[in-house]
Amino acid sequence: MDTPADSRAATHSKEVAGELKALLDAAVDGVIVIDHDGRITTFNAAAERLFGYTSAEVYGQRIEVLMPEPYRSGHDAYMHNYERTGKARIIGIGREVAAQRRDGTVFPASLAVGEVPGSSPKRYVGFIHDVTARKAATDALRRERDRAQSYLDLAQVMLVALDATGSITLINRKGCKILGYTESELVGRDWYEHCMAEAHRDAARAAHRAALGSRGDIDYTEDEVVTRDGSAKLIAWRTTRVHDEQGRPVGLLSSGEDVTDRRRAEQALKHSEQLLRAAQAIARLGNFELTIPAGSAFWSQQVYEITGLDPAIAPIEPLAFAERYVHPDHRERFKREWRRGLAETGKVDIEYRIVQPDGTPREVHMIAQVLPSADGHSLVVSGTLHDITERKQAEEEARQGQERLTHVARLSTMGEMATGLAHEINQPLTAIATYAQAASRLMAAEGGADPADLREALVAITSQALRAGEVIRRLRAFVKNRTARTETLDINRLIEDLSILAEPDARASDVRLTLELAPGLPPVGADPVQIQQVLLNLIRNAIDALLEKKGSHREIIVRTGWDGPDVEVAVIDHAGGIPPEVALHLFNPFYTTKDAGTGLGLAISRSIIRAHRGKLGHRPTPGGGTTFHFSLPPLPGGT
Amino acid sequence: MKEKPATVFVVDDDDAVRTSLRLLLKSVGLPVETFASAQEFLDAFDAERAGCLVLDIRMPGMSGLELQQRLNEIHAIVPIVFITGHGDVPMAVEAMQHGAVDFIQKPFRDQDLIDRINQALEKDRDNRAGLRERDAIRRRMQQLTPREREVLDLVTQGKANKVIAGDLNVSQRTVEIHRARVMEKMGASSLAHLVRMVIEAERAA
Repeated sequence: MDTPADSRAATHSKEVAGELKALLDAAVDGVIVIDHDGRITTFNAAAERLFGYTSAEVYGQRIEVLMPEPYRSGHDAYMHNYERTGKARIIGIGREVAAQRRDGTVFPASLAVGEVPGSSPKRYVGFIHDVTARKAATDALRRERDRAQSYLDLAQVMLVALDATGSITLINRKGCKILGYTESELVGRDWYEHCMAEAHRDAARAAHRAALGSRGDIDYTEDEVVTRDGSAKLIAWRTTRVHDEQGRPVGLLSSGEDVTDRRRAEQALKHSEQLLRAAQAIARLGNFELTIPAGSAFWSQQVYEITGLDPAIAPIEPLAFAERYVHPDHRERFKREWRRGLAETGKVDIEYRIVQPDGTPREVHMIAQVLPSADGHSLVVSGTLHDITERKQAEEEARQGQERLTHVARLSTMGEMATGLAHEINQPLTAIATYAQAASRLMAAEGGADPADLREALVAITSQALRAGEVIRRLRAFVKNRTARTETLDINRLIEDLSILAEPDARASDVRLTLELAPGLPPVGADPVQIQQVLLNLIRNAIDALLEKKGSHREIIVRTGWDGPDVEVAVIDHAGGIPPEVALHLFNPFYTTKDAGTGLGLAISRSIIRAHRGKLGHRPTPGGGTTFHFSLPPLPGGT
Repeated sequence: MKEKPATVFVVDDDDAVRTSLRLLLKSVGLPVETFASAQEFLDAFDAERAGCLVLDIRMPGMSGLELQQRLNEIHAIVPIVFITGHGDVPMAVEAMQHGAVDFIQKPFRDQDLIDRINQALEKDRDNRAGLRERDAIRRRMQQLTPREREVLDLVTQGKANKVIAGDLNVSQRTVEIHRARVMEKMGASSLAHLVRMVIEAERAA
């Protein structure tokens, strides 16, 4: 029976329960109480909203209905574990769990579980709320952080943050990779101690302090770091200060780029450029490139050296260059060949003279070639400029030396022929003197002279004077020191003229000189004096050979003919022939078998014939003796 | 003996020198014949013809020296004047050793050449006169009888008549008669003359 107190108590109790219920229902979190069996005894309004169940639906149900697998199956075991050991992972702390709604959907929830004090058997109360939104935010935050990290890691630069003391507070993956450490091996370590060579350490620390203490931008620096394996890497650094909320500098953040390879490549490039430059300087060979019509151009240092131009002057276009620096004698040819080369063959190969701004002439050889250009519209011309002044001078000196030598040899040959030549001049002088004296006597004779006799004398005197003059003229032409020149020659005519010089010499040695000249030979391009020199030399040698061999047939035949397409001249004797040991050295300069010989005759004869693109050789004469022969190519177009 | 006038034979391979020499010698009235080579001269050579040879020492084919040698081989007596160039002195010396009259270097003064030619012609005349004399003596000697020839030999050996008579086993008187006939046949005016003629006859081989 209800007492009033009871009734009051009951009323009060009822009121309390109502208040509690209102309280529970007003709570934002879902509140769920379960008994020791895990059956739900309390399920507030917030829980109803959370899970989609009415409290009536879940009372008496086990708490597991609110859990998705695998938690659902595991829950009994948790509970028993707790009861047996008094230990629970969840009691007293909040944790995030997965919860399942009536409709089966699962949502993240924050759960705090407590034991209802004094309850026996024990009951548990859980406070739960949906953390879907919060978790999404957290996830977003984490993703953001991960992305930032991945940016750091993706960055192809190393990022290192140091605190004020130089300890590493952050290093990205690239940094770890460059240094060869893991992140954990580095973070918290002293950067300078750990990653720099001792030699650079103090200076780097000083720079670190200076960077922290200053306000301005921190200079770009390049430093060597030491990696785990002890090798050095060159890092290019950009650094900024990190400040705290009060604006005080607390550390440095640096991005560093490994420029070891680049610097090495730059060094290698620089070295190879130095090598190229040195090679160009040694070879006196410059190179250039230009684009036509764009005009962008490059001249190597050596081009400036060779042209004597100030390296500050921009390269100029070749035709303009020709106008200013090519020697006037070569200018038109240069321009013509440049234009033609570019237009026709794509190649220009030309030797010409330039005049440096100070007036110094240089001989150069230029080779230029048109290269395929990238855009297909313009031409790229790449070329070399070679200073060949010294070579030209050497060639000129060699040529002059050869000419002097040739001249000496000619004089020497003349000397050997002096007796015969003296005779050859003495003969007409004798005739002249005799005619003149005869004429005087005829005129003084009683009854006067027969005019026919006088006329005969005078005509003869004239022709003999001319004869002597002709010998002297030829002699002078022969011994004169002169520059070689090429003329169109009829070789037969040349030999006939030569016999005036050669015949007296032969006659003096009682040798008959016979000419056997083939008709219809083509003209040759040659220096007449030099060819005569060769012939005289060969005839002299033949005479000497005949003098040496007593009883030989005293005749020298000079025969002309063909050697394939070339004109051949042969000097044939029937003397003793050439012993093999002499033949071996025959054309060596200064080799001679004669007492008074210079040993130059044949050596120079051969070089003369070679210079005329011909051949000089010898063969045995059938029946004994020697035949020296030389060939000369006919003039193109001559027949 | 009927003789052609002495001729100057010029041998020179040089047309101009040869022709000028002909004109020069013609101007002084000397008969001249010219030859362009030694061989040409040899082919035409006639030992009977009086004259002299003006010979170029240096010629193709047969040289002047070789011609001189050939003439010596056939005992030709024609006197030779060599004409030489400047460089030919050694050859000229050789020519002189082989009996040349003289040599003259080209070019020459006309009078020098003419003097040498005259000298050579004179020598030729002398040579020919000597030859004629010798021939006469030999002809006379051939007219002697063997006994007279014996007496001549002994007389010219300087033996006295008495000794000769003893040698020949004849009387001294007989020797005197032979001796007188020898003197007469030989046309000798004295013993000395006779001895000179015998020496002359025996001289040239």
